[in-house]
Amino acid sequence: MVDLLALKQAVGELEEGKVIGMLEDFIASNPSSDQAQEVLAACQKGMEAVGKYFEDGVYFIGDMMFAGELLTRAVELLKPVIGSGSSTKVGTIVLGTVAGDLHDIGKNIFKSIAEAAGFEIYDLGIDQSPEAFVAKIKQVNPQIVGMSGLLTLALDSMKITVDSIGANGLRDSVKIIIGGNPVNKDACEYIGADAFTTNAADGVKICQAWVGLK
Amino acid sequence: MSAQYTYEKKLERLDNCARLQSVDRVPIAVATLYFPAKYSNISYEEMFYDNEKYTEAAAKFALDFNWDAVCFLRSFETVPLGLSLAATNPELAINVAIASVMGGGFGHDILKDKYSKQPGRELPKDRESQFTIEEPLMSEYEYDALIENPFQFLSERIVPRVYGSLSQPGSAQANSALINFGMQLSAALANVVAFTKKMKEVNCPPWYMALAPNPLDFLGAFLRNFDKVLFDIRRYPAKIKKFCEEMAPVFLAVGKATGQLSYELTGSRRVFLPVWYNSFLSYKQYKEFHWPYIKYIAEELIKANFTPLFSFQGEHDHLLDTILEIPEGKAIAWFDRTDLTRAKQVIGEHSCIAGGIPPALLIGGTPDNVDQRVRELLAEMKSTRGFIYSLPFNGIGPAKIQNVKAMTEAVFKYGEY
Repeated sequence: MVDLLALKQAVGELEEGKVIGMLEDFIASNPSSDQAQEVLAACQKGMEAVGKYFEDGVYFIGDMMFAGELLTRAVELLKPVIGSGSSTKVGTIVLGTVAGDLHDIGKNIFKSIAEAAGFEIYDLGIDQSPEAFVAKIKQVNPQIVGMSGLLTLALDSMKITVDSIGANGLRDSVKIIIGGNPVNKDACEYIGADAFTTNAADGVKICQAWVGLK
Repeated sequence: MSAQYTYEKKLERLDNCARLQSVDRVPIAVATLYFPAKYSNISYEEMFYDNEKYTEAAAKFALDFNWDAVCFLRSFETVPLGLSLAATNPELAINVAIASVMGGGFGHDILKDKYSKQPGRELPKDRESQFTIEEPLMSEYEYDALIENPFQFLSERIVPRVYGSLSQPGSAQANSALINFGMQLSAALANVVAFTKKMKEVNCPPWYMALAPNPLDFLGAFLRNFDKVLFDIRRYPAKIKKFCEEMAPVFLAVGKATGQLSYELTGSRRVFLPVWYNSFLSYKQYKEFHWPYIKYIAEELIKANFTPLFSFQGEHDHLLDTILEIPEGKAIAWFDRTDLTRAKQVIGEHSCIAGGIPPALLIGGTPDNVDQRVRELLAEMKSTRGFIYSLPFNGIGPAKIQNVKAMTEAVFKYGEY
């Protein structure tokens, strides 16, 4: 069995080679599903350390992205042993870059960190119309809608999308968070979103609070 | 709006701000391509592809708004092609690199690059040009080849991968594209000269015309892609540093060459140093992988009598004290989302600060909101030794015209010393 404390620490320190090496050795030892769950839990504890480093200013957004990537790889390795259907999701988010904007960096960062935090993400992609957001909300009934944009033109697109969600009678069933370079308090009020963020990790924290975590 | 100051007076006002010397009023200097198009009722496509309308729109905007400096530059898609020539023909390299920045969309049409999507081409005619890398243009396993001979790597691997017309070097299609590009390049450069002359006539210096890229941002924006570089920093730190060391002198040369061109054509010694990864890196990573090379380029530009205009995009709050490492009163630190009050506390006595109100207010607010926020900002920032009122890079395309007018009036009214 793998040294769970060492694994947790390696995840916290973002020592990719060490983490993957330990997990590969573990898989090779023909473990049980319960053991794999314990190992995954250790990785998730390591992620809590990553979060603490972020709060203390030691880690920054790039580190959070790397942590998200590391956890994704860990889950991929462990999933065959754990089996499907055993992981519980903390919430569901419909996510997309709004109409007219082709940038996906911010959206992808948010997605990576949110998935690492246990959210199920429906990623619509870039340049998404209000109709696409509405259709996906109707289909998957998420708790949260995340709209991303880099250019200032995204602000009007976000407003139109929020209005469209309202016109379809869905506004009260979702919390809406907007993110990206041009958003701020003024933009949030203008657009009619519930929250804004220019920092994906902080955005995920807002989402965690909305689904009753932390 | 306000008195019509001469071109030289505006240049001097900006230079004095950069030197932390007293000025009569806070200057206003902004990079905006799309708002002047909207103001002149021409499409964004025309702003990119019709040089006559582009020049007319810029001149009308300059006269009516009377800002101290404006940057009307366009896109960046020819930069890697230009850089690939740097070891072979430095002068041609610069001319090619600036072809898209100053010459408009012809390079995109001819070369068919994968970086940009342009108004009236891949996008509707009133949509802003967008610059992205969808898939990395080099893999993580190619760092050694890139470091060993960057120009050969750019010429032989990146150029064929990124420019559709040059995907088969030596083919009739590629030759034809290069010849066509060359033929249009000289006309484009002549347009640049005519444009700068026109801007002098309407008393509008450039906020910047010269540019010095930095290694890490170039790697993320033109070669790998943005998030891959953040992973590479952890996986291949020595290779990233080696690449940055190799390329920093090259980008310095670009800064000096474009700086000299800018000075000769416009009288401006400012050289634009955009910084993109700052928002994503921890203090430790920034000091290790990003800032040393930016600092080197800036310090060498200062020695050559140029004024670095740092554009710290996104949030720079956690990195402000690094600016104190640059010689005092020699550079401009231009912020978009960084807290200006905090910036003032940390570098206000050391370097000129440029910044303004959030573009969201110009889009969704009212003239009264705008007037109030500009008044509050200037009350706070005027006491620094150098402050230039500015806005985020190309951030006001969708702004309401009455709000931009209110902002301008407010800067003139509350910016007097």
